[in-house]
Amino acid sequence: MRGELHYDAVVVGAGTAGLVAGARLAEGGARVCVLSKGVGSTHLAPGTIDVLGYAPGRVSSPAGVFDEFVATHPDHPYALLGAEAVAEALRWFSATVAAGPLAGYEYVGGLEHNVLLPTAVGALRPSALVPETMAAGDASGEHVCIVGTRSLRDFHASLCAANLRRLGVDARSAEIEIEVDKADQNALGLARKFDDPAWRAALAGRLSLKLQAHERVGLPAMLGIRDPHGVWSDLEHRLGRPVFEIPTLPPSVPGMRVYEILRSALRRAGGRLVLGAEVVSSERSGSRVVSVATRSAGHDSVYAAPWFVLAAGGFGSGAIELDSRWATHERVFGLPLHGVPAVDQPRFVGDYLAEQPMARVGVAVDSQLRATDADNVLVAGAALPGAVPWREGSGEGIALASGSHAAQMVLAGAGAPAGAAA
Amino acid sequence: MATLSTDVLVIGGGATGAGVAWDASLRGFDVVLVDRADLAEGTSGRFHGLLHSGGRYAVKDPRAAEECIAENRILKKISPDSIEDIGGFFVTTPFDDPAYADVFAKGCRDTGVDCEEIDPKQALREEPLLNPAVSRVFRVPDANIDVWKTVWSMARGIQERGGRVLPYHEVVAIHRSGDQVTGARARGAATGEEIDIEARVTVNASGAWAGAVADMAGIEGVRVLPGRGIMIAMNHRLVNTCVNRCQMPTDGDIIVPIRTVCVIGTTDVNTDDPDDHTVIQSEVDAMLDDGEKLVPGFRQARAMRVWTGVRPLFEDSKAADTDSRDVTRAHALLDHAERDGVQGFVTITGGKLTTFRLMAEETMNAVSKHLGDERPCTTKTEPLPGSEDGETYRLGERLGRKESHLRDEQLVCECEMVPRSKLEQAIERRATTNLDDIRRLLRLGMGPCQGGFCIYRATGILHGLDGLTAEQADDSLLHFLRERWKGVWPILYGDQLRQARLDDWIFHGVLDVEHLPVASPQAETVAS
Repeated sequence: MRGELHYDAVVVGAGTAGLVAGARLAEGGARVCVLSKGVGSTHLAPGTIDVLGYAPGRVSSPAGVFDEFVATHPDHPYALLGAEAVAEALRWFSATVAAGPLAGYEYVGGLEHNVLLPTAVGALRPSALVPETMAAGDASGEHVCIVGTRSLRDFHASLCAANLRRLGVDARSAEIEIEVDKADQNALGLARKFDDPAWRAALAGRLSLKLQAHERVGLPAMLGIRDPHGVWSDLEHRLGRPVFEIPTLPPSVPGMRVYEILRSALRRAGGRLVLGAEVVSSERSGSRVVSVATRSAGHDSVYAAPWFVLAAGGFGSGAIELDSRWATHERVFGLPLHGVPAVDQPRFVGDYLAEQPMARVGVAVDSQLRATDADNVLVAGAALPGAVPWREGSGEGIALASGSHAAQMVLAGAGAPAGAAA
Repeated sequence: MATLSTDVLVIGGGATGAGVAWDASLRGFDVVLVDRADLAEGTSGRFHGLLHSGGRYAVKDPRAAEECIAENRILKKISPDSIEDIGGFFVTTPFDDPAYADVFAKGCRDTGVDCEEIDPKQALREEPLLNPAVSRVFRVPDANIDVWKTVWSMARGIQERGGRVLPYHEVVAIHRSGDQVTGARARGAATGEEIDIEARVTVNASGAWAGAVADMAGIEGVRVLPGRGIMIAMNHRLVNTCVNRCQMPTDGDIIVPIRTVCVIGTTDVNTDDPDDHTVIQSEVDAMLDDGEKLVPGFRQARAMRVWTGVRPLFEDSKAADTDSRDVTRAHALLDHAERDGVQGFVTITGGKLTTFRLMAEETMNAVSKHLGDERPCTTKTEPLPGSEDGETYRLGERLGRKESHLRDEQLVCECEMVPRSKLEQAIERRATTNLDDIRRLLRLGMGPCQGGFCIYRATGILHGLDGLTAEQADDSLLHFLRERWKGVWPILYGDQLRQARLDDWIFHGVLDVEHLPVASPQAETVAS
């Protein structure tokens, strides 16, 4: 065991919420360390910033329905955060993308209006703020050709186009051949090929032969990982028409771009990120957490700080666990949970599309999103109770706003506790 | 209305019915096999996958034990492609009566079940996760069997010999002319169209549903007591040998490793309705505790799925009505000419998977007499299609194939290593839009991710190949998700809950399947 490492704040979790909290703490001048078992939700999510897609009917303007939504969902993170916190977090995100490592890459849209973007199966999914590389997919546009390749098993263009037609989009599909050196190629492998200008030019040449006049082109989300803006604008230029990406099965290329942007913001501001560092225990003093210990390859470490941000996720990451005797635990700090069904009530129900009783379980928080049982632990992201983000289309809105809120809380209170030297 | 005419109509496409139809085909009779659902979709496909050595019955039911060991040897010869010859242990745990071990050893000797006592230390070397407190261990020739593979091999063999196999054809009436059963009427689930099947002999091989089918023929008093049991599949093989508690058969006393998973079974609860698949929570909890007795730490392992199967137990009036395990496991062949004076109708029910071939042989011996044309049975020696080389299945076969085709063979399902070419062949061969049918053929979506990654891919491939409409493809996708969820939610905890949440993010967060366009009213009318 080495000596303790001291920070102004320690963030647990490197999904969107944790990276946002870490980056904003660092930007605010705090010495911050983000600890994580591994990469988080970014690599699984579509890479769009969904604020509120369904409530439960399709939402056309998240800003427009916000007040009504929080009035009917008083336990929802949005009810605690408020509309302005969400708006501010989105502005920060857009600016961070623009200042980030992916030259020219931008997000477009905002809280006033959800765009409807095709999914890989051909449903239309509402999103508030989306990568420029996806924006032209909005269902309000005209003719579209969805292009797939047999080399990518994770995208099926004909099914996507067929469902889009059922939804009133004038869509057809085409297939292109892409040569790969192993059969099980995923979108990331193909994105790396798209980063190569010569390879891309050749592909655009073949693709242009398949297109009809006035068609937009939808491709699986694989248009570059290093330089997505360059890849996308080059393709639009070469094909002479709007081109857009459609998110598909993980690993998510657009999600990995988000990760890269947020990680870079954290590092640029002087914050630290330690991956492969699972928190295995924590020390407390009364109602405060004093330190956490991580177990990683080679050695254990102890991180002490006056503030902690719990952004380790919910059941999906394993940070909240339901055991085989049907007891629920928060595994990082052992904090109490909110929303757990009573012992004699069902945890899940047999109707696949019904809301599951366990769906809204999260770490119990006060109105400031502080854990009820630990004064200096702020909770962010999927660890929060009260939301069903995968059904509501609210995951990134909650993550951005709560991660930002946690950072602001710590920065506002940072004067109080004495920061020990590292 | 379409009509078919045949020598033998078999009602029920489980292992027994398919076995009867296969036996009939080999004897050179023309045959039609019908099932209300997919082949081996009922009891046959809902057990733990054990090919019995007979050890389990050596004390309690010596005749069943003798049948099991004989059939175990035969099936390993004729159907090796669907059998993995992993062997079995009977172990005395601290929870078992130590005196039973010697009774067990004697029972095995008396019934001819190969049984060798081994040093518990040796057993622990072979199975390190086994309870270290086991005091006696016996090795027996248990194995596992992929029933869907066996049944579909027979179906292929039947078709190659000109027989007709009609899954999703439910019998809605049995035709009688006086004292003669003359066939049946079946309704196709896909189209609603009915066909009349004229048969010289009709075989009722509908297992737990045999009473209802006999009723349709106007034959009373065929009573089958359905005994429902639950099985739980763990996400990997905690043991590589079938492990049985060395005690009188009871709940949760066996773990069967099969393919990539292992299955613990089972319970036994009387039920009135063989279609009742309710999973009772207390049974799940008890089963997990039973798992701990054989493999300490069982509750920390990842449970993937739970399901129920219904045993067809032919009622013996002398048995108590309270525990269906006391009803005979032996099969019952009812020749209704002798029993009821009704010609051309035979019922076979009861029994167990391991003895399906024997049941089929006895049934066809009776049927041959009805046909007045007694031909010899050859199922003991004739290998099933796909098993001609005599090689048993080995775990790692699929991985071996994949590794030699890294460049050109795309995997659709990584968990069960199902390549795209196999999926395409299966879709073509089965001409089905039901991904659950494909699952039974290929084990698609049966691994740890429970379809999270493969089902979108398979739906896309199905849509492209079969020229399905988007409605049909969406229905297939949603049907699969609903079916999977049935077996997932009653046992969702630990890492499987993490997986389910990832699947939620894929199907809702990324694909938004909930908001696929709904089927048009016309399409719904056709389906009903």
